[in-house]
Amino acid sequence: MAAQKKALSTALPSVWNKLEPLLRRIERPSRYIDHEWGSVRKSDADFHFCMVYPDTYELGQPNQALRILVNAVNATEGLAAERAFLPAVDLIELMREEGLPLFSVESCAPLSSFDAIGITLPHELAATNVLEVLDLAGIPLHASERAEDDPFVIGGGPCAYNPEPYAPFFDVISVGEGEEATPELLCVIRRMRRAGANRQKILREAAKLTGSYVPSLYRWRCEGEAQERGSWIEPLYEGLPTRIEKRIFEGFAESSAWEPAVVPFTEAVHDRLNVEILRGCARGCRFCQAGMIYRPVRERSADNIVNSVLRGLAETGYDEVSLTSLSSTDHSQIAEILSRLNAALAGTGVRVSIPSQRLDSFGVSMAELVAGQKKGGLTFAPEAGTQRLRDVINKNVTEDDLFGAIDAAFAAGWRRCKLYFMIGLPTETDEDVKGIASLAQRAYDRAWAAAGPEARGSVKVSISCAVFVPKAQTPFQWDGQIGPEEALRRVNLLSHSIKYKAIDVHWHDPKTSFVEAVMSRGGREVAAVVEGAWRRGARFDAWTEHFNEQAWRDASAEQGVDPEACAQTTYDVGYIMPWSHISSGVSQAFLARERKRAEEGVTMPDCTFERCTGCGVCKGDVANMLAAPRGANHG
Amino acid sequence: MADPLLFRLRVTYGKTGRLALLSHLEITHALERAVRRAGLPFAVTQGFSPHMRIAFGSALPVGVGGVAEIFDIFLARNVNPADVLDALQSASVEELYPTAAKLISPRAPAASVAFPYSTYEAELSVRVTALAVPRTVTVRRKKKEKELIVADFLADGPTCETTGAGYAVRFTLQAKEDGSLRPDVLINACLAESGLDETALMGLTRVAQTARLVH
Repeated sequence: MAAQKKALSTALPSVWNKLEPLLRRIERPSRYIDHEWGSVRKSDADFHFCMVYPDTYELGQPNQALRILVNAVNATEGLAAERAFLPAVDLIELMREEGLPLFSVESCAPLSSFDAIGITLPHELAATNVLEVLDLAGIPLHASERAEDDPFVIGGGPCAYNPEPYAPFFDVISVGEGEEATPELLCVIRRMRRAGANRQKILREAAKLTGSYVPSLYRWRCEGEAQERGSWIEPLYEGLPTRIEKRIFEGFAESSAWEPAVVPFTEAVHDRLNVEILRGCARGCRFCQAGMIYRPVRERSADNIVNSVLRGLAETGYDEVSLTSLSSTDHSQIAEILSRLNAALAGTGVRVSIPSQRLDSFGVSMAELVAGQKKGGLTFAPEAGTQRLRDVINKNVTEDDLFGAIDAAFAAGWRRCKLYFMIGLPTETDEDVKGIASLAQRAYDRAWAAAGPEARGSVKVSISCAVFVPKAQTPFQWDGQIGPEEALRRVNLLSHSIKYKAIDVHWHDPKTSFVEAVMSRGGREVAAVVEGAWRRGARFDAWTEHFNEQAWRDASAEQGVDPEACAQTTYDVGYIMPWSHISSGVSQAFLARERKRAEEGVTMPDCTFERCTGCGVCKGDVANMLAAPRGANHG
Repeated sequence: MADPLLFRLRVTYGKTGRLALLSHLEITHALERAVRRAGLPFAVTQGFSPHMRIAFGSALPVGVGGVAEIFDIFLARNVNPADVLDALQSASVEELYPTAAKLISPRAPAASVAFPYSTYEAELSVRVTALAVPRTVTVRRKKKEKELIVADFLADGPTCETTGAGYAVRFTLQAKEDGSLRPDVLINACLAESGLDETALMGLTRVAQTARLVH
């Protein structure tokens, strides 16, 4: 009758003896050997979870979600968590030759021996890597093909806000913050497995948890039916939610900003202590998914942050700390935090960094507080070249803000500045594109004047532009992307509009942005395209040298999916998008109002500085939590 | 490096087990972090981008372990070496582990040049009574091929012995001012010369670094 239920186990098998000989034949073996400072192996647990980052160790190890969730699961009685990453291509090839399955870092245990694995979905170009992970692990790609003793495969992260292109590959997709949701979900699976429940029963129970979406329990409707019924999904059983509300970790602000960290041997992308000082951003940029999905805004206190930084540095030995968030200079106590850290860290050679600068002179003075004598480059993101378009996208920044920031930066000793822009934003015209050139040239003039006579020769301004990717759960989710050819035309127009030799223009490949848009806006039908692309060799799509456009094109053709329509169609705000059953707390009505305001060029304030804008996130106990009023000392 | 106001502490450590797979750059980062975790009063360079004053002994290739590796750390105040060793040990992982610490003269030669003779022990899976040594080995540096004469570097050995654990080969290489011969390159060349497969090599460890040749 029913397949054998998997018994909970206390020990994991190891494939180290098979891996070790391969490590002599590959690059940077230190990525695969564990034993880093801070690596934890919990022995007193009978339920094993492996948290997977679907890219290589040096990209994944610094990832905040991985660290948070491994810690949260290990802190739960009976549960143990390990880490896994996708090996680099050289080791993947050897593993396939030798029949070695994907393994966890700590126990070097095959992923298939875990009770559950979690795969974070950090961006739209990681989908084929998810399949590479599952295949290399020997876990069936589709949830529907998994047997009783296969691990539960759980997804989460920013891409969970449009989970449909990943739907068939996951047993559960966890929407929102995982600090509490992940251990809770694992405890449900553990309890029910102990009681002998089968997979189907466990999944139905999991679907009752707030924020947990079990795609296999819903039928995917066709377009006409979805528009008529107001949702793309139809529950197959009674009692299933029809709307998946994201989870919020309400204890964020009070929780310690220090938490145990693994210190990698190999050089990682962000090889430093990361301390999350606040979560959420309410500036309300209409293209920005992070600004919508991480609401409300919650600040940790200055005392918490300063103590956590000092403790974290002492425990890890890092010589750099980054105060991370979506907008760190918006923290109400940022000046106090930086001054206290400067005083405490004087003479230790420790650098403090803030990931991005707010675009005004206050942002620059904060950057100056931590820059010391070494002033490399500063990065600002005006996003659009004209005030009209900046109003459309609700980037509440004026030319005067930018020029004030440039004056302050170049007077203070910076010599290089990078300006980020997007091409193809809704309503963009050629005038807006030329406006980028004009703005950059005038920024250069200001920089040149502020730098002083002896430094003028070394003043550099560069422009970096990416093609606008419409993101789920934002006011621009209904807007189509411009095609890659049109994007290149606009980039050329920009390049030709720049008369200054000292200004460089860099741009991201519009072809990868196109795949991002397909993944960002697609429905469940796109999952078959992902699988087809992967079968044709697509993987590591985010790596320029691996990106395989043809694989995606051929897979789309095979599946009868029109990728252009998926990425480029613009809908009315009444159109039900394929992720309308997933809620970030920001209401669809607010998004629609914001889209209309964009059309009219009407801007909205940041509710942490001014009045509430009615996005819908705050209700019950959920509200912005600031450590001190904002705007008192800056803003 | 000589600064009479600073105290120079020489630390001996082991790079063993699977951490033999770390590169020299990874070792230097890991040791710097251990020094910071240990809370030592290390000196910091003056200037544009201040960093820890630490100096490392000669590098080992990826895959080669060491039982008596060296780094020097400059401290801003006098400390009891035994206390430093304690603090460093509790801030270190098992396979990258300090075993001794002593104060030395700030004017002593740098750790990287003080000990030109390195003795290695190769662990083999097969019994060999004598290993043939090729006259030259070809090495590739930045796409350029270069032929090295083994006798210029090989100061002693290889001598084969049977140990309790298996079969071992010992040899001593001398670092020259204009370059060195990598121990892993030499042992693999010797294995090939003797008609043995590279897989016979189970492990390679630097067992001693000395100022003069010791037989």
